[in-house]
Amino acid sequence: MIHPTRPPGQTSPMALLFVLGITFLGFMPAGVAGIVTVDHALGVATLETQPERVVSLYQGATDTAVALGIKPVGMVESWTEKPMYQYLRAYLSDVRMLGLETQPDLEGIALLDPDLIVAARNRHLAIFPLLDQIAPTVVIDDVYEFKPLLSLMAKATGKKEQGLCLLEHWQARTLDFQSRIRKKLGSAWPTEVAILSFRADHARIYYGGFARSVLEELGFLAPAPHRQKGWGIKLTSEESIPAMDAETIFLFMEDDPAVQRTYRRWSAHPLWQNLKAVQAGEVYPVDPITWNMGAGILAANLMLDDLYRHYRLRDPLPEVLDAC
Amino acid sequence: MSKTLVVRGAADQWSVRIQPAVLRICLALAALLCLSALVSLSLGSYPTTMPQIFQALSGAENLHGIRLILLEIRLPRILMAILAGGALGLAGLLLQGLVQNPLASPDVVGITSGASAAAVFTLWVTDSAGGTPLLVPAAIAGALAVTVLLVMLSWRGGVSPTRLVLIGVGLAAGLSAVTTLILVVSPDATAMSAYIWLTGSLYAARWSDIFGLAPVVIGGLAVAIAVARDLDLHALGSDLALALGSNLNRQRLVHLLLAVVLAGGAVAYAGALGFIGLLAPHMARRIIRTGHMGLTLISPMLGGLILVWADLAGRVLFIPRDLPAGLFVAGVGAPFFVYLLYRLRRKS
Repeated sequence: MIHPTRPPGQTSPMALLFVLGITFLGFMPAGVAGIVTVDHALGVATLETQPERVVSLYQGATDTAVALGIKPVGMVESWTEKPMYQYLRAYLSDVRMLGLETQPDLEGIALLDPDLIVAARNRHLAIFPLLDQIAPTVVIDDVYEFKPLLSLMAKATGKKEQGLCLLEHWQARTLDFQSRIRKKLGSAWPTEVAILSFRADHARIYYGGFARSVLEELGFLAPAPHRQKGWGIKLTSEESIPAMDAETIFLFMEDDPAVQRTYRRWSAHPLWQNLKAVQAGEVYPVDPITWNMGAGILAANLMLDDLYRHYRLRDPLPEVLDAC
Repeated sequence: MSKTLVVRGAADQWSVRIQPAVLRICLALAALLCLSALVSLSLGSYPTTMPQIFQALSGAENLHGIRLILLEIRLPRILMAILAGGALGLAGLLLQGLVQNPLASPDVVGITSGASAAAVFTLWVTDSAGGTPLLVPAAIAGALAVTVLLVMLSWRGGVSPTRLVLIGVGLAAGLSAVTTLILVVSPDATAMSAYIWLTGSLYAARWSDIFGLAPVVIGGLAVAIAVARDLDLHALGSDLALALGSNLNRQRLVHLLLAVVLAGGAVAYAGALGFIGLLAPHMARRIIRTGHMGLTLISPMLGGLILVWADLAGRVLFIPRDLPAGLFVAGVGAPFFVYLLYRLRRKS
């Protein structure tokens, strides 16, 4: 359920107000401790105390809350493995479920009496005014921006150190991965990879989204025809298989008989057998949850774990939650 | 007939006739509507009791959370159900009178399809699974554009109801193909939002929406009351209506425009709700049989009632999931539609 950003919006009057506010704060005496203002996609949130009751309204925010050591008081249900993804379950017992990410239970949110709500512009724009009346609400622009989300939530929850630790750990891991894979692949690096997905009635090529942004950060390239704006494309006919080609293919699909049928049909097609990646044996199924739906720092780390394993590289750094 | 109340304009440009019996039915329905609204106001995933509601409404400070839920979440939603349901019920009545066919409704002549295609297109272009402020103007523009096209294509020295319906059905089919195409190219979350909109949902209705739709519905109802007598004449057949002095073409255009504005407005705010425009006028005809004045008053109230209950069902039956009201309207509407067809066949 990830898709890419829009072109950046114009400067909002709220942003201007925020700048004015900052200027004004410069003249204020020090000691108004406890008040934090957080700039976000739809304005500025003012938090008077360190929030303890956090409500997460999308998958990436739930993942990030766990990474920051916060157990939300309310969260929306996951897209698969309902009600929540396996990799987060151990940290989220007895959290109140608030329905679907696209239309969360507003009364349920109010009932929890939260002191911080985390939402996404491309999910909750219409309900933002209501959310903000219930509790200070911080909004990220797009659901797959896991690093800006981490900084935003770390600031809003007063867990800046933990946030910084997670970011530095991520930075260290990406650098380590890059140097190792460069050594391993030699002149074959950087390699071109395609991200594909199969559904019950169609197949997809992802041009953008969470997995692509992580792969890009690691230095992987997209095949030239995949370097496009937009989240990607839905393919309904096997005749489009040649458009999927790359040196390596990562593909994810749900564990569903109808989806498996589509995959079997497409992968049995002569055009599929002609793909470079197929002939070189470079087609790898990956987990749709960590590669596409989790969309937080923990999911990104799990994705990186997959890549270390996949390229048989030594992974010297500690697991993310052990490191921070 | 001596008991009929009649109010006339100075030059007899308009007149309103109403019988006391109809007035009594109207009052009873209004009471039922208020009662339903109160029931809906008291139910939700946040438990509230009646005494709490009255305390909160009378302004008790310590009930801030409950006031927020009642006044900002539930009340706008209930008012939106009444307004949108009412507008659709009235639009359906006008269209059925216009085309002299009991199966006409805003979704059949392409008004809803025009609004839907425009709305889904807007959601796709702005990539907003979370809604966009452009949705309402886009849906209204879509409904109006389709109507202009409809009248232009079906105009042959005048408005022929049969041509209007046939061309409307054709336009609706073409537009639904456009809608499907856009859904296919949309990302998942946007498509999911679009599906919810296409089903018709009052989720997160706000006061600003109420203030946008209320003038349309109240103004539309006032005009509909003023022109209700024309529909009585049209019901006699176009020859007799012409002989009795009706300016058929002009009146048909007025009714069509009125129906478009009402249905377009409702659909823009509440999504592509089907069946209310079909159901409410037929229920009204079961209750009274005395001409279009009574029907004009009762159809919107019934439309409002249907939507208030459908939305309540969607809100509370599957907590914490908030299901679109359109599902439950269709759940009642579809069997009724089949029953209607069955009865028509037996009559003929």
